[in-house]
Amino acid sequence: MNILTSIGEVSWFILLVAAGVAALVGYLYSHFKFYSRSWFFPAVLAVFPALALAVFGGLLGGYAFKLWLSFLAAEAAIAVFFRYVVKGRHTVPYLLLAPAFVGLALLLVYPFVFEVYLSFHDLKLTTIMMWKNTGTLPFVGIDQYIKVFTTSPLSETTFWQLLLRTLVWTFSNVFFHVLGGFILALMLNNSIRFKGFYRTLLVIPWAMPQVVAVLAMRGEFHATNGFVNIVITRLLGFFPFLSHLGVAPVQWLTDYPLLTCTLINIWLGIPFMMVVILGGLQSISSSYYDAADIDGASYFQKLRYITLPLVRPVMMPAVTLGTVWTFNNINVIYLVTGQAGGTEQADILVSALYKAAFTYNRYSYSAAFAIVVFAMLFFFSVFYLKSFDAAKDER
Amino acid sequence: MKTKLLILAAAGALAACSRPVADTSKTIVVWEQEDAQVAPYIDSVFEAFKKLPENAGIEITRTHYQTEDLRSQFQAASLAGVPPDLLLGPSDTAGLYAVSGFIMPLDGLFDFSRYNKPVVEAITLDGHSWGVPVSNGNHLMMFYNKRLVGSSPPKTTDELFAFCAGPAKQLKLQRCMAFDMGEPFWMMPWLGAFGGWPMDGKKPTLDTQAMRDTVNFYLDLKYEKKYVPMECDYNCMDSMFKEGQAAFIINGDWAISMYQKQLKKDFGLCVIPKLSKTGLYPSPMVSGKYFMVSAGAKPEKLAILKRLLEFYTSKENQVKQYQALTRLPALKAAGAAPEITSDEVSRISLDQILKGRPMPMATEMRAVWDSARNYLGMATTRKLDVDTAVRKMQENTDKKIAEMNQ
Amino acid sequence: MKKELSAAAKRKRLNHLLIHAGIILFAAACVYPLLRIFSVSLRPGDKLVSMDLAIIPAGATFISYTKLLGDTMFLRWLWNSLLITLATSFIGVSLASTAAYAFSRFRFPGKKAGMILLLSSQMIPAGMLILPLFLMIMKLKLMNTYLGMIIAYSVSSLPFSIWILKGYYDTIPRSLEEAALVDGTSQVGAFWRIILPLSTPALSIAFLFNFTTAWNEYLVARVVLFSSKQYTWTLGLFELQGQYITQWGMFAAGSMLVTIPVLCVFLYSSKWLISGLTLGSVKG
Repeated sequence: MNILTSIGEVSWFILLVAAGVAALVGYLYSHFKFYSRSWFFPAVLAVFPALALAVFGGLLGGYAFKLWLSFLAAEAAIAVFFRYVVKGRHTVPYLLLAPAFVGLALLLVYPFVFEVYLSFHDLKLTTIMMWKNTGTLPFVGIDQYIKVFTTSPLSETTFWQLLLRTLVWTFSNVFFHVLGGFILALMLNNSIRFKGFYRTLLVIPWAMPQVVAVLAMRGEFHATNGFVNIVITRLLGFFPFLSHLGVAPVQWLTDYPLLTCTLINIWLGIPFMMVVILGGLQSISSSYYDAADIDGASYFQKLRYITLPLVRPVMMPAVTLGTVWTFNNINVIYLVTGQAGGTEQADILVSALYKAAFTYNRYSYSAAFAIVVFAMLFFFSVFYLKSFDAAKDER
Repeated sequence: MKTKLLILAAAGALAACSRPVADTSKTIVVWEQEDAQVAPYIDSVFEAFKKLPENAGIEITRTHYQTEDLRSQFQAASLAGVPPDLLLGPSDTAGLYAVSGFIMPLDGLFDFSRYNKPVVEAITLDGHSWGVPVSNGNHLMMFYNKRLVGSSPPKTTDELFAFCAGPAKQLKLQRCMAFDMGEPFWMMPWLGAFGGWPMDGKKPTLDTQAMRDTVNFYLDLKYEKKYVPMECDYNCMDSMFKEGQAAFIINGDWAISMYQKQLKKDFGLCVIPKLSKTGLYPSPMVSGKYFMVSAGAKPEKLAILKRLLEFYTSKENQVKQYQALTRLPALKAAGAAPEITSDEVSRISLDQILKGRPMPMATEMRAVWDSARNYLGMATTRKLDVDTAVRKMQENTDKKIAEMNQ
Repeated sequence: MKKELSAAAKRKRLNHLLIHAGIILFAAACVYPLLRIFSVSLRPGDKLVSMDLAIIPAGATFISYTKLLGDTMFLRWLWNSLLITLATSFIGVSLASTAAYAFSRFRFPGKKAGMILLLSSQMIPAGMLILPLFLMIMKLKLMNTYLGMIIAYSVSSLPFSIWILKGYYDTIPRSLEEAALVDGTSQVGAFWRIILPLSTPALSIAFLFNFTTAWNEYLVARVVLFSSKQYTWTLGLFELQGQYITQWGMFAAGSMLVTIPVLCVFLYSSKWLISGLTLGSVKG
């Protein structure tokens, strides 16, 4: 019986994939027939992703189609709005943006509003019952925000110390991600042998499931059995004079938890930057370098005046987003220090926030905290983008 | 035209596959956070339950969550109004659910006098019982490697340390014993042996001489005697013991069957040795695993749930559970069954339970765990001196409880 | 003249040698932990940590692999993941490529705000989204569906994809499209036939990003899926992890197996990462 159902399932999947392929073929067919008509591309843009959703969501049955229809309706509404209210001036860009932004609004606006609502109310262990039964919460105004700045979710570290630590964590990580990624990308961008193979090896930290990657690296930092300390011990054996310089095996996890986390996170993040920068390097036409060669420019001059400025537009989003992600990323910190030691020396803002939310169930406080984190990141990125634009105008 | 047909055909195929709606009043949803080797046992009991004639048509779906996920998902599901019917887990989050009104008190529904008293006590808060115990224990014990230690384990810490100082040195072990010193759960037995306990009712009692003694005992083990590893978490101690690099380990009853499998005839189990200094036995925290019933469970389902839980904790199944998982029964009648009393392991485990104390269920315990973990870590890595660490442990716990409940 | 050339060639060879050495050093740092995980997967007795450094441990056995494939629904989970990931990658990249084109080539009210809005979607700590996400998935009736996963994943990697593609489009000279427009192609036609083919490196970065993110995602999957048949491998592997005891052997074996598809995708992507302008039709 089990075999029969699984055969049924498999053939269903095959059918599903076949339907997807058929849709694709149909699409390509009509594409080459109609692509020059002006209505075609926007129409395809609206229909194709939605159709793909419907095909892959097919297991859901009728409901997927309802959802798909409302999605289309939302897009149509946007199109109509811009055609008649904005008088068609910007129809094309808005249509192009519509699918992405409908999706974003669907998934991100509601949670954000929800968090803002919570942050002005008081949801915690003792009021959950009330909220569940009546749907209302006591309104406390900006009390939670005041608490964010005056108290701390940790015991030994104040909010401001935490903020400083988070900034150090974020910038050291992003800096080394970019530096490491850049060096590797430059090396890989030469016409050397085994390039594809090397690149594949180099992305392993990114490709591995993060949990396992971090746990494996954590093992390498173990005081007696980790690779790092074993290497240090061996080095001391070969070069005894090093010990006079203060080189000695280190209890990484207990003495320098944040440094350990940073090192591991740098290791994890370099491949991503490397791939992005490598892509960016591809956008630079070799004619620039040819011209520079004729002028007799040195390698570093070329790097400074050609490569860096031209890679910037591609690197900038990765750096901005990388900053935001690192600021909010606690996977490494949680996995490295969450289980052992248990001290708070490696906690950053967001991991402290989670402690308030999940250990102490202070939901409103942590919502306010999250909004504060959000605001900080928001102003940082607006500022950063402004300065980027200014730099671009100068050029 | 052809493309349209194709798309239509695809759409038709999709529409044809809507699923039949299950009869939800007979479907029971269970969420658990057990270790993976327990899942087959749980499923087998459910299967047996479904086979009974009066239970025809009942479906049981079991979903596994990690400990942290279970908590957040259960809270979210309860707030969204779609909670599972049953939760299977330890008692430490039960206080949280009870205060939030996510689970229902079960006093009227089950006869709790049929279960062992301490295990019921560990799930009692504000005079109500919040869960049906399915096993008794979850307590720490001492395991040893017979190949290294021989067959007569130490009875007191003096004997233990004598072994570590003498014969163990010849064995070239990495360390004599291993336990997770960073996790306060492993500290509680020793705290008890020094005459302390972290909670008195709902009041944390951490700033005590007993706590200072315990932390000093840790420091002595780590830095002076060097019987325990410098930096070792759960996985590290577990590997050390499995590889025969440590002669002793303190670990919970959940590890029994794993170590039996790993060490085979060298497997040894004993109660944690008496602390020679005070003459008291270490008292591990005792609780168990419990079924909790969601407050959102439909009233018409309660009869089925009651049948299921009574079946799960029937004498026969409690004995089976012991045989499959080496977990001691919570049911009094099953505890006296010959299959259990005749077994050496269960005798020792039971002995250890009797020396333990029920784990407090109050939500205040969360603040205790959190603070204790932090300051214990600071003290044992010598970042704070013992007196300050213990004082701050108490202060911080009080502060966090105030913030949580104000 | 000839002598000079050979000196330059020598220098080049030395350079390449240095580059090879440098890359191999980095690559070793990347591969070594993977080998350690491989040795965990071969180790009997579920030990995550071991006291010995050998890659092939004593008593090495493939039992973890056979147990993982035989006793659990691992293949099924892999299949689910693959389906969701591929769908996500295609949808995500196609949505992003057009949206980025709008941002790169058009002037319209709200352009800046739109870009910032994209970024701000990444700024709320993910853990805080569990509760609202749960409530919303409930309202949309997407519990336990692939569709819910695909929507959530495609949308959540959009900001990065759009930004990176916009950055790349910006580097493509407008003169290329203008030439095509003069030839009578529509604006979108120019996008389709000129911009897209030229931006394959960025498209493949976006694809790789979508792929790896969706492939390794845990949080959203945990909220959306709760029947083990629908699980992605991330959820499936965590079935093996309990409060104290984790079946590390199988866990590591699973991790090895799931790393392979991603590496394959990367290996395959080489072709696409190196193309675009440098190989494209126009220089300068």
